[in-house]
Formats: sequence, C-alpha cells, structure tokens
Amino acid sequence: MDILIQQVLNGLSIASVITLIAVGVTLIFGLTGIINFAHGEFLMVGSIVTWIAVQQGIPFLPAMLIAILVVAVMGFALERGLFQFTLTRPTNGFIVSLGLIIVLQHVVILFFGPNQKSIPRPLSGVWDVSGVRIASVRVMVILVTIAVVAMTFVMITRSRYGRALRAAVEDRDTAALMGIPVRRYITGVFVLGSALAGLGGALLIALFPVTPFTGGTMVMKGFAVALMGGLGNLTGAVVAGLILGIVEGFSAGYGFSEWTDAYSFGLMILVLLIKPNGLFGGTSGPKMA
Amino acid sequence: MKASHTMKNRASPFASLLPALLVIGVLVLVPALGPSNRTLSLAISAGINIVALYGLAVLFGQTGILSMGHAALVGVGAYVAAILARDAGIGFWVALPLGSLLAAVAAAIVGVPSLRVSGHHFVIMTFAFGQLLAIVLTNGGDFTGAATGLDLQLPVTWFGRDAGELVPYYFIVVAFVAISAIASWAIINSSYGRTLRAIRENEKLAASLGINVGRHKIGAFVVSGLFAGVSGVLLAYFFRHISPNQFSSFPSIYLALMVMIGGARLLLGPIAGGILVSFLPEMLNLDPVESRILYGVCLIAVILLLPNGLIAGLLQGLQAIVKAAFGSRAETPAAGANNASGARR
Repeated sequence: MDILIQQVLNGLSIASVITLIAVGVTLIFGLTGIINFAHGEFLMVGSIVTWIAVQQGIPFLPAMLIAILVVAVMGFALERGLFQFTLTRPTNGFIVSLGLIIVLQHVVILFFGPNQKSIPRPLSGVWDVSGVRIASVRVMVILVTIAVVAMTFVMITRSRYGRALRAAVEDRDTAALMGIPVRRYITGVFVLGSALAGLGGALLIALFPVTPFTGGTMVMKGFAVALMGGLGNLTGAVVAGLILGIVEGFSAGYGFSEWTDAYSFGLMILVLLIKPNGLFGGTSGPKMA
Repeated sequence: MKASHTMKNRASPFASLLPALLVIGVLVLVPALGPSNRTLSLAISAGINIVALYGLAVLFGQTGILSMGHAALVGVGAYVAAILARDAGIGFWVALPLGSLLAAVAAAIVGVPSLRVSGHHFVIMTFAFGQLLAIVLTNGGDFTGAATGLDLQLPVTWFGRDAGELVPYYFIVVAFVAISAIASWAIINSSYGRTLRAIRENEKLAASLGINVGRHKIGAFVVSGLFAGVSGVLLAYFFRHISPNQFSSFPSIYLALMVMIGGARLLLGPIAGGILVSFLPEMLNLDPVESRILYGVCLIAVILLLPNGLIAGLLQGLQAIVKAAFGSRAETPAAGANNASGARR
C-alpha cells in the first residue's frame, strides 16, 4: 500500500509535465488546427536551458524562469518565422513541426552531445508520512503544475482576453469581424504554449535526467492525453492527464513498469474507439473556408 | 501526367510511365560503373526505402491520408522474414509474399479503428500504433529478440545461385523498385486511383456520389501495407539484423520526409526522395548529425516553398522558363503533372 501511494505520486508528477504539454498542444490545435509535434522538443529545449543555467551556478528557480523565457521567445520566433505561413493548410504546419523535431533535436546533439543531462535535485527533502516516503521535489512539481494550469484556466474562462480567445477558437472569421485581432491571438497562444513547455522542461529535469530524445516520447504522451480529453478542450486535457498519471502509477506499483510507455497509447486508442471525439468532446480545429 | 483523363492532353497513360522506366533503366546500369561498396550499399538501402515510399505515395499522394507509423508496417515485413527463417527455415522468396501479406493485415488492423477518427487524429493514431509496435517488439522476449532484435542467416538465392552479394542484391532491389513503380502507375491510372483522388479532393462529395469513403481509405492503407511488407523483407535480408528501434517513430518520420521531399503525387517522386535523402549527406560530406539537421531544414523549406515536392517544383520552374522563352502557348509534358498536383493540400 505504501509503495502504491508512492508510485501513484510518482505517476502524478510525470503526468504533471505531460499535462503541461497537453495544455499547450490542445490550445494551439484549438486555435490554429496545427498539430505541433515539435512541442515535445520545446520541452526538451526547456530542460537543456535549465541544465545550462544550473551548470553556470544559477539556482533552480531563476533557471526555470530563464527556461520559460527562452522557450517562449523560441515559440514566438517559430510562429512568426514558420507556422504563420501554414495557417491556411494545417497539414503543412504539422509537417513543418516534424522537420522542426529533427532540427531542434540534432542542433542540441551537435552542441551538447547525445548523452543524458541531469541537475542536482532542487529540493532534496523526503517526508516520511506514516511510512510513506514522499520526495518533496515531486510534490513541488505537482503543486507548480496545479497552480499554473489553474491560472491558465482562470485566464481563459474569466478574463476578457480568454473570452476573445474562446470566440476565436469557436469561429475564427466571425471573431475577426467582431474586432478580435485573431492573428495576434494565434501568436499569443503559441507563446503561451511554448512557455508552458519551457516550464514543463524545467520541471522534468528536476525529476529525471533528460536526453535530446526525451521530447519525442513526451510529446506523444502529451498528444495521447490531449486526444483522450478531446483536442482543443482544456478541461479534458487536465482530467485525461490525471487519469494517465494514476494508471501509470498503479501499473508501476504492481510491477508492470516495462509496459509504462504503452499505457498512454493503449488508453488513447481505447478512448478514441469508444468516443472518437475524446472523453469531453473536442473541437475539430478551426473551420476552414 | 498521371491524371491524363482530366486533361486535354493527348498523350496516352503509358507516356507517364516512360520517365520512371528511363530512370530505373539508368539505375540498372549503375553497377557497370564500378561503384564502391559503400555507394552500392547506400543505393540498396535507398531502393528498399523507395519500395515503401511507393506505398506511402499511394496513401498520401493519391488518397490524402498521411501515415506516421509506416516504418512499423515495414517492421512487420522484416520481423515476419526473420521469424520465418529462424523457426521454419522459410527463405527469401516465400517470405516476400507472406511478409507483404501480413503487413497488409497489420495495416487493416490499424486502419479499421484509426479511420473511425477524422483526418487530424488519424495521423496521431498511426503514430501511436507505430510506437506500440516498437514497445511490443521490445517486450516480446525471445520470440522477437527483445531490444537486441533478431539475426537472419538464410542465404538469398537467385536462379539457384547465391544472390546475397551486393551486386546481385542490388539488381533484386532495383527489380522491386521497378515493380513498385509500375504497380503505383497502374493504380494511379485505374478507376480505383480516380476514386482515391476523389476522396482526397473532397471527401463529402465523394461520399455523396456513392463512394464508400471509409472502405476505400482502409483499402488504400492496406495497399500501402503490401508495399511496406515487401520493403521490410528486403531490409531484413539486406541488413541481416533487425531491432525494434529501426521501426519506431523516427524512421516513420524519415519515410514521410522522403516522400514529401520527392513529391507524393508524381511517379518519380519516391525515387527522387529516396535517392536524395540517402545520398545528399554523402555528397556534401556531412556527419550524421549535420545531415539530419539538413533533412529537417530541407523538409521545412520544401513544405513552405514547394508544397508539391521537389520534382513538381522543378517541373514548374522548367515550365515557367519554357513559357517565358516560347510564349504562353508552349505546352510541356510537365503541364499535366502540375495540373494534377496543382490542387494544394
């Protein structure tokens, strides 16, 4: 039982990082229809930036902020430089993102080598709650994720910018006619999604060593979660992330850890077979003329 | 040129096969030039990819469905070949149809549930199935050789003689490239090909004309699986050792990249894409990391600048030059190709 609680907590901490990716992926898809597979590489770049910063003797917290900033700027540059030209043809945007995966991954390998990178744990405390050993760093990751996702959620459901954003997701052309600067919102969502990926990267390297290839698996799980919840649906992404975290935790607790990677894909295929639009119903992307 | 039925073009469909046959004819002559073993091995692996690319081109170029798990289907062919050879002593020529068939069955198994979801999601489903296969192969114990994979020892014979050496194996691969090219040409010019293109251009319209869209999509996926299986068997007998990571997501991305760089809608596209992606790093003397960065940049550049692929782009450029030189009435054989592939994705 103790082990099980520990494993579920572990599962949830990884699922937090995956949820951060899923939120970015789902927002970008909802507004632009672009399936951005390179989002996992944004996360990996976030990890690498954190690693470099910590190597320079910068403490974890500012290093995390630097990672968020760098990845957000990268997202901005890539949206302006590449993705904005594919808005009328989202499939091309998807293919561009595949090219970006290869480029980002190998640029990192070129400069920093293919081996895994790790930083000393920012929080090394382990709490002993009646026999259950809880690593404080995992709790930190979960709490930071909850806070950030909650903030994003409030921003999107309550603020006037969020309302404009949701209007643009619902119907891009009409929203534009109502005076919403849709193009600027698209850039904004790319930057927000990238910042979340940068944060996810910093949190990930606080938990595990990261290699240049980490992004590939993480983005697949992020997409699995986003699809399970319904692409374009923020609530869905968060709930599906939670489900995946618990399932992965339980399976590791019962000793099937070598199949961990299969769960996200298996779950996703299962959910999509039963409910093709995901658990909470997604959008099918922006309506194209 | 492939869609000559839509054109006022008087050329018969055979004219569209000629350039591909010409290129394959040139490829047959390559060993006579005394290439180095390195060049020949690169050419063989390019050829093996081209066979799979022809399948992918039917799927993506004609039907408009992109599969990101195609390397997994190649993997099914390769593992079928290796397991048959190990457990039943079944050799190359019997493994070919069996591997091809089983890869097609695998495509059907993936295709039926995946095509329940719409376009965007389908790509991710194929990707997920590809990843799942790699995980299953890795966890498959002795049967699949786990992460180390399987070795293949049976020789390849050709009319009773050993054909495992580079030169005879090169000819076998070129023969299969030719068969694949002719098969895709036949598909493109058949009423079946027209049906697939109708689905690509407007799914709802096609459905309203009584075309069973779902069944044809799965059909196209199964056909592409047949090509992938052949490619897998060829690959297993060439490398003599296969492992799960040869068939995971990244090889799938590279296959998609090759078909996109070459152009999925042209008969020469797969050959161009396969050869370019295999030989460009060698010609530019790049190390593997640099060459991959180059692939990625090429892919992005091709998609943004020449969305119909390199060959279609070159033809378009050529056509523009011809037009400028001889006035707007000059019609080149390329015109048909451009019109057929001109409808942008």
